[in-house]
Amino acid sequence: MVSKEEQNSSSSFQFEARLTQASLIKKILEAIKDLVTDANFDCSAEGLSLQAMDSSHVSLVSMVLHAQGFEMFQCQRAVSLGINLASLTKILKCAGNDDSITLRADEKGDKAEFVFESQSQDRLSEFELKLMDIDSEHLGIPDTKYSAVVEMPSSEYRRICSDLGLMGDTVRISVSKESVKFQVDGDIGKGSVCLHPSSVVDKPTEVVKISLEEPVDMIFSIRYLNNFAKAAPLSDTVTLSLSKDFPLQVEFKFGEQMGYLRYYLAPKID
Amino acid sequence: MRTRLCFLVPPVHKIFYVQRASFIMKRKAVNASPRKQPSKVPKSSICSYLSLQQKEEHSLSDIVKPAKENVNQNANMTQQTSQEDSETSSSTSEHSSSLVENPNPVCEEKLVECTFTNVTWQGNSRAPFRFLADAFETMEATTSRLALIKILTQVFRKIVNTTPDDLLPCVYLCTNTLGPAHEGLEFKAGEATVLNALSSATGNSVKVLKERLTKLGDIGDLAAECRTTQQTMFKPPSLTIHGVYQEFRTMANLAGKLSTKEREKHLQKLLVSASSKEAKYIARIVLGKLRIHIAYKTVIVALATVFAPCPKSDAKTTDGMDVILKEAAATLNAVYSQLPVWDRIIPVLIQNKSTEGLEEQCRLTPGVPVGPMLAKPVKEASDVLERFQECSFVCEYKYDGMRAQIHYLTDGNVKIFSRNAEDDTPKYPDIVESIKFALSKNNTVTSFIIDSEVVAYDPETNAMKSFQELQGRARKEVKIEDIKVPVCIFAFDILFLNGESLLKWSLKDRREKLFDTFSTIQGKFQFTTSKVFTDWEGVDEMMDEAIKAGCEGLMIKALTGEYSSYEPCNRSQNWLKMKKDYMNSIGDSLDLVPIGAYYGRGKRSGVFGAFLLACYNSETEEFQTVCKLGTGFSDEFLSSITKFYKDGHILAEPKPYYGVSDTPAIRPDVWFEPCQVWETRCADLTMSPSHTAAKGMLSEEDKGVALRFPRFIRIREDKPVDDATTADQIVELYCNQKSKM
Repeated sequence: MVSKEEQNSSSSFQFEARLTQASLIKKILEAIKDLVTDANFDCSAEGLSLQAMDSSHVSLVSMVLHAQGFEMFQCQRAVSLGINLASLTKILKCAGNDDSITLRADEKGDKAEFVFESQSQDRLSEFELKLMDIDSEHLGIPDTKYSAVVEMPSSEYRRICSDLGLMGDTVRISVSKESVKFQVDGDIGKGSVCLHPSSVVDKPTEVVKISLEEPVDMIFSIRYLNNFAKAAPLSDTVTLSLSKDFPLQVEFKFGEQMGYLRYYLAPKID
Repeated sequence: MRTRLCFLVPPVHKIFYVQRASFIMKRKAVNASPRKQPSKVPKSSICSYLSLQQKEEHSLSDIVKPAKENVNQNANMTQQTSQEDSETSSSTSEHSSSLVENPNPVCEEKLVECTFTNVTWQGNSRAPFRFLADAFETMEATTSRLALIKILTQVFRKIVNTTPDDLLPCVYLCTNTLGPAHEGLEFKAGEATVLNALSSATGNSVKVLKERLTKLGDIGDLAAECRTTQQTMFKPPSLTIHGVYQEFRTMANLAGKLSTKEREKHLQKLLVSASSKEAKYIARIVLGKLRIHIAYKTVIVALATVFAPCPKSDAKTTDGMDVILKEAAATLNAVYSQLPVWDRIIPVLIQNKSTEGLEEQCRLTPGVPVGPMLAKPVKEASDVLERFQECSFVCEYKYDGMRAQIHYLTDGNVKIFSRNAEDDTPKYPDIVESIKFALSKNNTVTSFIIDSEVVAYDPETNAMKSFQELQGRARKEVKIEDIKVPVCIFAFDILFLNGESLLKWSLKDRREKLFDTFSTIQGKFQFTTSKVFTDWEGVDEMMDEAIKAGCEGLMIKALTGEYSSYEPCNRSQNWLKMKKDYMNSIGDSLDLVPIGAYYGRGKRSGVFGAFLLACYNSETEEFQTVCKLGTGFSDEFLSSITKFYKDGHILAEPKPYYGVSDTPAIRPDVWFEPCQVWETRCADLTMSPSHTAAKGMLSEEDKGVALRFPRFIRIREDKPVDDATTADQIVELYCNQKSKM
């Protein structure tokens, strides 16, 4: 094995990064591959990021992995890796959850290399993925002061979405000071789930928190919310941020300093 | 909240559009860096890459600016709509003298205004699809041919002047095709695919869309109306003519088990990027129902107007211009009929900037099928004699088979094309063999195109078999050893031989060439039975012989003179056909009872478009279905009959005594009370698994009898429903017909 320092000095790669746990990347991929088929992974000195829209342009995925979250990270020049997510899924299937994962891209930028190394360092697998040219536009997302921000356990979010998804196509989310309410009206009947901010804070991951500027009441497609729920394994909590006539932001944080996965969803018209 | 369609209300949309723009975010400057070896070709030729270094903070002005632009854009759009409206109304009145203006943009260099739209673009971008959608909308609103030609001419001229590369995709979109006919590229998308794509693009459920479609009748109108209940994150880049065409081709080329889903995704992508008007025409084009009142002929006239040669200064009168335009159209028409491939013609047109010289560069080519020459039906001897006064004519048997245009290419390949230019070569490996045999005595042949009829043939009895037998042949990947229905080629014309087009030759010379070139093989490759006549004497006898031999009738063609050349895809007076059924020798009408109906589409939306007819089986006391009937109706009849049945003659359930098969395509949208008898004619009767008439009374136990090409004649007010044609009568008619074969 080559030591980390040697690798750094001898590297002919424009970009090289190592993550101790392949499971993180695997989960991220699971969380976005149903929404987006191809995406550019943008590598810069600050980290690895991805931004893509679904084919209907209704939702947007924005993922950031900060450089400091990696075991090793170096980027001599910013590169963009155009990757077909179905192909990447195939390659990541070959990585164990506890393997470390090294991602490299060279000058030519026509392929990306993946190296998976088992924890005991006795198994090393290497893969090359052909890259593609993806015509995409980068959107700047302005920092917005949202009218309502709801933090809740991601398992609860997932459950609400899948339960209500059985009843109808759209969900009305109403946030007030006292509660956040998810309402569905379908062919077979209607239903709602109402969450109140937790009074007892013994388990921080089970807390529901609401911070409110003004009450919000908006409608969204459940199908997309359900898609976002696939990111639940990435984080114990999820933050929903809403403002009238603005896309909903659903954020999953990857722990301290690592980065985040954010979804944006345009509302439906009443 | 109840699920309901929120059809677009423009003001709301506009407001949101502006707000949305303020949310989003500036598109970043794009840094193009081509990359080697892309594993997948991107849709656009320019690949854009972003580097994070370019990321910049959003100043307030960045965010506000796009919003302002959008307001302007919206204002423009409103203006455009009103202008369009006035244009539509006035276009019908002002077109009469318009054809002669400015025939050639290239020599006049005058920028032409498009009267139907204010969409413009620059030469360094691609022509927007919006432009074409505006044109389609205007064309849809008129049926005046002159107005249509005028609009189409403007479309082509504008494109030629700005982005000539977009002309080819534009022509294909206008003709609702994806490529030359023999490439066989089809849209392969059904209504379900379009509905699913529309559903995911707009956020309306398929069920709601379907209900709405039943009311509207046209999927294009549905696509236009149900723009969206779902906002998008930002407006996708607008569609280009080239982009839409390419996307359609990609969809058509998809194959395999997941292709339907893939096709849906591509279509969804188009629909998301489309404005409501664009969506309307995209949906229609995909289903092959563009309905803008034009066929390729109009396209030819419009193209000819754009590319007409520059008039000499002394001919710059209206009359002179007219002549030039007519000649240009004739040239283009002749060229297109010999080489019906726009991919070959349009580049030449653009290069030459004129129709001059086109004939030399685009010629009849083996491997590219041309439309077969067609014949006019005649009823009586006098019609024929009037036509062929003082010239000899030839009568040929009219075989009951399939037309086949057989091409022999210089590389030794044989290609067989159907009447509709489909490549039937894989279906007929035996014909390929026969052709090689027929040529075996003649080694001077390097290439040819012949016209022929392929007929099912029994080599043991040397008898011809019916058309239905031929239809029973396998279609795909046929192997010679598996062939169950042997066929014989009956050649009757030659269009091309050894690099030379024979189209302009007289039929007499062509026939000689044909007889010289090929040797016949009994039961495999024969010439049609024919006789040369100078007057009517003997023709009637030949007709009888032809019918006895199992043919449909006779073809009658001028042998020499100006009417004897081969005119591809032209139903001219030069060839006449005489069939036994034109002579009214058979064709008893049937009196049938409508028991159900199907909602009309397109032109017939809002009324019933077709009906399910039944005969009466007196033994089982059942009404048994015998055909779907959709021709022979006037528009007035359809609306009155729809009203009649809707006023209390519709059943919630079919009567227990309706004998209807389980075939889904047969199930009518509504069931009728049996209360009328309709007189109907048809071409002939055939066995069908989808219909139940006389089921079990004929040799094939599980099939019923069905009418082929039924046609409505009138309502039999005088007949009660149980006096309708009975199953027994149908059996009799079917058996009679068989004995005549």
